[in-house]
Amino acid sequence: MRIIVHKAKCQGHARCSAQAPDVFKLDDEGYILPGDIEVAQGEQLLASRGARSCPERALELDRTPAVRAVSDVIEPRVWRA
Amino acid sequence: MAINAVPDHVPPEMVRDFSLFTSPGMAPAPNGDPHAAVACVHAGPPIFYSPYNTRDGRGTWVITRAADQRRVLQDAETFSSHRSIFASALGENWPMIPLELDPPAHGVFRSLLNPLLSPKRVVVLEPKVRERAITLILRIAASGTSCDVMKDFAFPFTVSIFLRLLGLPDHRLDTFVGWAKDLLHGDDVKRPAAARTIVAFIDELATKRRKEPVDDFMTFIVQAQVGGRPLTEEEVRGIGVLVFIAGLDTVAAAIGFGLAYLARNLKDQDLLRREPDRIVLAAEELLRAYPTVQIIRVATKDIEFEGAPIRKGDYVSCAAMIANRDPAEFECPNTVDLAREDNRHAAFGYGPHRCLGSHLARREIVIGLEEWLARIPAFRIQNGTAPITSGGHLFGIENLILDWS
Repeated sequence: MRIIVHKAKCQGHARCSAQAPDVFKLDDEGYILPGDIEVAQGEQLLASRGARSCPERALELDRTPAVRAVSDVIEPRVWRA
Repeated sequence: MAINAVPDHVPPEMVRDFSLFTSPGMAPAPNGDPHAAVACVHAGPPIFYSPYNTRDGRGTWVITRAADQRRVLQDAETFSSHRSIFASALGENWPMIPLELDPPAHGVFRSLLNPLLSPKRVVVLEPKVRERAITLILRIAASGTSCDVMKDFAFPFTVSIFLRLLGLPDHRLDTFVGWAKDLLHGDDVKRPAAARTIVAFIDELATKRRKEPVDDFMTFIVQAQVGGRPLTEEEVRGIGVLVFIAGLDTVAAAIGFGLAYLARNLKDQDLLRREPDRIVLAAEELLRAYPTVQIIRVATKDIEFEGAPIRKGDYVSCAAMIANRDPAEFECPNTVDLAREDNRHAAFGYGPHRCLGSHLARREIVIGLEEWLARIPAFRIQNGTAPITSGGHLFGIENLILDWS
């Protein structure tokens, strides 16, 4: 699983890193570091919770790295399915 | 002042008789639930015009959907935050900083201040915050089996944390809270008087810290540089005033609303007491259900928004209490579910002006609940008493008499 980081949308709520501090690294101001995130097997649950908690929808889950999603934002229903 | 005058460009069918100030459930009322009262707007259109929706009687567009509020608040170019809301009480025009600055100037000041209230910084502050909570609660527990949570815990706790951050003395706590109450909840006489007092106080504090620097917030501000120059007096004042008033009311209200919910829902109270690991998530749900702030923006240009003809200069209201009850964003929005996971609530706003103090506020709320539940046995609202809640610009709770006899 991979998380696409829309850095420009991050406003430093830090709710992702509150859920999964090892997955979502923040800079000194409390905003997400740039670059997409490859999530290790054991961290997937926390990582997806973290991504789903972003009020700005800056974090996009991509469960199929081979066929990368192109949509800008994934709606919650997609994850629930 | 054009109270209730609807501008010509607003189609009459888009005007609704709704207001955070005058609608049913908004006036101060015993055992009120102003948050539930505003949820009714979701039966209506995504945007409408409210002819009386600011403290000074101005009309605003009201955005009801969370997704639309996100769009408005993320677009600071179209929806400006520069209203001089504080200075206008004095008949002046200067911004509270960074709240009332727009990008790009906003980003410069935001970057200056972010590290002072970042998640990392809050970890450093945490032991002092917890110590303060414990001291207050032990005192309450030792002195009987009831108290007024607002007066005895929520205000002294949150305000003293914040005064320490600012480097202000604890013994003046009551004075500062009084100023903030007059400013945020007072009438047309008290408000400007309080504003004047606060400005004079901040100016004097800045002068003092320039002469004799210490290790505190104001010293940092007067020594700081932006773009290779020191801050102007007006900028120092703009920052000082914002930080001063932002820390004095909202976190206490959040703790009050949260404990009021738990006092009325003993199962949830018991669960959090037995399993305190749930408190972090529960605090997010309480913030979702009981936020305190209505955010207002000013349109910088004419724009069609979801069929509404917004014109340059129009006010656009994004009330967190409305977004947080949006059924399109939250399943069963009017049910408080302390284990709710999909919870991207708007209590701290969206966009570049996201509450600067949100990380500290969260820690204070979580620590307050943790230490309260660990030290106070099953509590209820005392028989014969009723918390008085109110709507308005800032939703509030005046008193909360709890009983654990």
